[in-house]
Amino acid sequence: MTVLRLRGGRIIDPTNAVDGTLRDLYIRDGRLVEAPLGEAAIEEIDVSGCIVMAGGIDLHTHIGGGKVNLARLLVPEMQRTGPNPIALPDNPLELASCGGCLPGTLATGYRYVEMGYTAAFEPAMMACNARHTHMEMGDTPILDHGAYVMLGNDELFLQMLSRGEDPQRMRDYVGWTINATKAMGVKVVNPGGISAFKFNQRKLDVNENHVHWQVTPRQIVQTLAQALRELGVPHPLHIHGSNLGVAGNIASTLDTIAALEGLPAHLTHVQFHAYGTDGPKKFSSAALQLAEAVNAHANVSIDVGQIMFGQTVTASGDTMRQHAQSGLANPRKWIGADIECEAGCGVVPFRYRDQNFINALQWAIGLEIFLLVNDPWRVVLTTDHPNGGPFTSYPHLIRLLMDRSFRAEQLAKLHPDVAANAALNSITRELSLYEIAIMTRAAPARLLGLKDRGHLGAGAAADIAVYREDPNREAMFATPAFVFKDGELVACAGRIVAVPVGGTHFVAPDYDRGIEAMLRKHHAANGLVNVDHLAIGRDELCGCCNGGRLLPASCFEAQS
Amino acid sequence: MSALEPPPGRASVPWTCPFCPLLCDTFGVDTGAWALTGSECGRARAALARFNAGTLSAQAQIDGVVCDRDAAIAAAARMLAASRQPLFGGLGTDVAGARALYPLACRTGAICDPAGGAALSHGSRALQDRGAFTTTLGEVHMRADLIVCIGAPPSERYPEFPRRCGAGAGGAAQVVVLKPAGTVVAEAVEPGIEVVTMDGDLFDIAATLAAQVAGRAAGDSADPLGVLAARLHAARYAVLVFETGRLPAHGALIVEAIDRIVATLNQRTRAAALPLGGDDGASTVDAVFTWMSGLPLRTRAAPVGLEHEPVRFDAQRLLADQAVDALLWIASFGTEPAPPMVDLPRVVLGHPGFAAAAQGRATVFIPVSTPGIGSAGHLFRTDGSVLMPLRAVRDDGLPTVADVLKRLTQALAEQAA
Repeated sequence: MTVLRLRGGRIIDPTNAVDGTLRDLYIRDGRLVEAPLGEAAIEEIDVSGCIVMAGGIDLHTHIGGGKVNLARLLVPEMQRTGPNPIALPDNPLELASCGGCLPGTLATGYRYVEMGYTAAFEPAMMACNARHTHMEMGDTPILDHGAYVMLGNDELFLQMLSRGEDPQRMRDYVGWTINATKAMGVKVVNPGGISAFKFNQRKLDVNENHVHWQVTPRQIVQTLAQALRELGVPHPLHIHGSNLGVAGNIASTLDTIAALEGLPAHLTHVQFHAYGTDGPKKFSSAALQLAEAVNAHANVSIDVGQIMFGQTVTASGDTMRQHAQSGLANPRKWIGADIECEAGCGVVPFRYRDQNFINALQWAIGLEIFLLVNDPWRVVLTTDHPNGGPFTSYPHLIRLLMDRSFRAEQLAKLHPDVAANAALNSITRELSLYEIAIMTRAAPARLLGLKDRGHLGAGAAADIAVYREDPNREAMFATPAFVFKDGELVACAGRIVAVPVGGTHFVAPDYDRGIEAMLRKHHAANGLVNVDHLAIGRDELCGCCNGGRLLPASCFEAQS
Repeated sequence: MSALEPPPGRASVPWTCPFCPLLCDTFGVDTGAWALTGSECGRARAALARFNAGTLSAQAQIDGVVCDRDAAIAAAARMLAASRQPLFGGLGTDVAGARALYPLACRTGAICDPAGGAALSHGSRALQDRGAFTTTLGEVHMRADLIVCIGAPPSERYPEFPRRCGAGAGGAAQVVVLKPAGTVVAEAVEPGIEVVTMDGDLFDIAATLAAQVAGRAAGDSADPLGVLAARLHAARYAVLVFETGRLPAHGALIVEAIDRIVATLNQRTRAAALPLGGDDGASTVDAVFTWMSGLPLRTRAAPVGLEHEPVRFDAQRLLADQAVDALLWIASFGTEPAPPMVDLPRVVLGHPGFAAAAQGRATVFIPVSTPGIGSAGHLFRTDGSVLMPLRAVRDDGLPTVADVLKRLTQALAEQAA
C-alpha cells in the first residue's frame, strides 16, 4: 500500500494546537496517518519552505440553487472579459465556465480548489427546491459541499407557532425537513420577514409581530434554535438577522442575540447587520458594539460578509429587504420572487464603490469586526459570496487582515470621511497565520461538526493546502503550490490536475415521524408539492450529486 | 426513526406528469391502458396515447435502415466529428440529459437552442432588460385574490392550471382573462372566469394597462382597463399570468410591460407575475447550462470563448440561413415538434414515435426513454423555483438521453484519438 509523504513543511493546525512546527505528513487511502514503520512504499513531495494547512472550508457561500442561477440569467453582460467572450480553458481537464462574480458551478469548483479550499456550504436551500441546490453543488467539481435548509418563513411553521404548537412538534417538523432535504443545518433569513412581505408588511423588528401570524422574530429564532439543540444538529441555527442593510440595525442584531437566551447560534454576514445612526449621514459603524456582544456571548459565532469594491450581484432570500433596496440596483434591474409558501428571493446587482461613503464604511466595518472579536474560533472568513464580493477575493482579504500597513494604504484611498474617521485607523492588530487557519478551516469545521476535516491530525481526511511562504500574503494564499483532496493531488501552482467528484455533507437527526400526517394534510390542502416528492432519498441524492460520496455527519446526544 | 428512505416495496409512490411544465403530481397513470387516472387533462391524455406499445418502433436506424445501437452511436459520432458548426436543437430532455449534453456541446462547439427557443427568449430578454417579480403555483393557490391572464385562458394549453391555482368555480381568486379582440376564445371558458375583450393587440393592451396602473393613462378611468387597474390596486395579492409560447414576435416587450405593472403595484400592495412556459424540457436545459457555464442557452464554446448570442443563435434562423452543417435533435417526451426536415446530416435522439420523421438520408435515429415514463428524471416547473422528480412507470428497455450522449461523447473522443 502506497504512502505519500509531504516532507519538510511548516504545519499550522490549530485544532491540534500545532503552530508552525516542521513536520512531515503521511497520507494513505485518502487519510492522514501516523508515520509508518517502514514497511510501506513511500512517495514523496518536497514541501520545504511551505506552510501546510488543512483545506479551506467556506461555511457561507452562495454556490448553488435558484437565486444564484437567476442572478446568472439576469446579467449575461457580466460574463465577459472586457469586450471579449470569456476564453475557453487551456486545461483539457476543465470544461468552459465563466468566472467573475457569478461563476458557473464548474468554475466555482476549479477556482476554489486552486485557492486551497476543499469544501463549501450553500447557506440558503429551499425545501421545495432542494434537489436543484444539490444538483448545482454536484456539478461543482472537487469541492465537498452541503447546504442549510431555510425555515422560519414557511407558512406551516408560522401557523404552528401562532397556534402555540407543542415545541416537540416544532422540533419534529424541523427534523423532518432536515432529513427530507438532506441538509447540513437550518438557516433563518429575516425571521418571519419574508412571509410578512407577502402580507404586504414592509418592516419587521425583532420584537414586532408578523402582521398576519402575530408571532415575532424573537419567537421564531428561539423556537428554531431550541429545536436544533434538541435534535442534536451540530451546526447551530444559522441566522441572517432582521433589517439587513438598514442604518441602526445593530439594535436588531443585539436583540437577536438576546432572543437566543444562551442557545447556540451562528450570525451570518454580520457586517450587513452592524450599522449605527451616528454622524452627519446617520450611518455609522457599530462594529465595536457587535464585537463586544460577541465577546460577551460564548454561544454566538459569526461570519463577516466582508464587502470588496467592484461589481457584484447580491442574491438573498430576504425579499423584504431586497425589494426595499432594489432602487440601488446597478445596473438598474432586479429579480424578486415569492416562493411556494416557504421562502422568497431577491437578486439585485450592485457595484461597491470606494468613493461612496456608505460602501467605504461597510468595508471598514467588516475589517473592524474581524479585528475586534477576541476569539477567532467564533469568526469565519467570508464575503457572503457573491453578496459582499466574489470568493476569489479571499487572498486579498487575508492580506488586509494580516498586514497593517497594507490595510492603512487601502483605507487611505477611500472616501475621505471614512479614511479620516474610521475606527479601523486605530486598530493595530494583525492576524497571524494561525488565526487565519482558524478562521478559514479549523473554526468552520468545528462549527459544522466535521470531526475529520479542517485539521491535519492522524485520521483526518487528507484535504490539504500547501502554500509557498511569501511575505505578500495575497500572493501566497492566491496560489498554493499543492492542493490535495482526500489524498489526491488536485491542483498544482494554480492549475487543476485532477477533477474528482466532491462529497455531500448532511445530517440525519432522529425525530418522531408522526409529524408527517400533518405535513401531508397541509401540502394537499394548499396545492403544494406532494410530500413524498419533497423528500430526497439517499440514492436520489447520490444521482443529484453526480455520484459523489455521501458524508453524513453525526449528531450529538440530543438535549431536552 | 431517521432518514426518509421510502419503505421497500411500497407501490403507491406518486407520479409526476412530465408532459407540461405544471408537472402535476396528484394524479396517476394506468400503464395497462395508458389512461390517466384522477384527471381529465387533455394534454396529458394525448401525450400518454403516444405510449401505446403496439405502434412503437424501438430500434435505432441509419438512413431509415434498422441497425444496432452501437453502430448508430458510431455513425452519429462521425457526423458530429465531421461538422464544423453543429446545432443542437429540440432539447427535449431532463436535467440528466442536459448535464450530459454540456460536455458534448463544449467538445463540438455546438450552438444549443431548444424547440421553444423563441418563447424562452421572450422571458429572458425582458428579464435581462428590467428584471421581474414572480411567484409560484403554490403561492398563487394560497394567496392570490385576483388572477389576470394576459392574452388567453391558460386552461387551453395548461388544462390543470385552474386547479393548480385554486381558481375557477369555488376558488378563492377572481380570474380575469384579458384578450385582444379578434382572438378566438370560448367566452365562458370555465365557470367563474371573466373574459375582458379589448381592441388593439397585446402590445397595446399591456402598455395601456401599465399606464392605467401607474396612473398615467390619458383615457377614461371607467374604461375596462381603468376598472381592471383599480381592481389590481385593490387586490391583496394580484397575479399576472402570461404564456411565453403564445406571445407574438417581439413578445419580450409585452413581458416587460407586465413586469412594469407588477413593479408599480408592489410599491403599495402585493403582486407578482407567473409565466407559463419552458415546455418539453426547454427551461430545464436552460437552467442546467446556465449553472454549469454561467450563461444561458444560445451560447457556444467557440474558439474565441464562450459566446452568448441571444439573437443570432436562434435555431430556426440558423437552419433557414443554412448557417449550420449538422443537426442533433433531442425529443425524448414525444410531445416536441418532430425533427425538422432539413438537408443536413441529422442525429435524432427521440421518442420512438419520431422514427417516421427520422427516415431521411444522412439521418441517424436512436430511440430513447421518456423521463417520467420509462425512466426517472427531473424537470423544472414553469415557475422555475421547483425541481420536480419524475418516476418511471414502466421499463421500456430504452437508454436515457444522458446514456446515449455520454456514449456519443466517448465515441467522439475515441475517434479523435
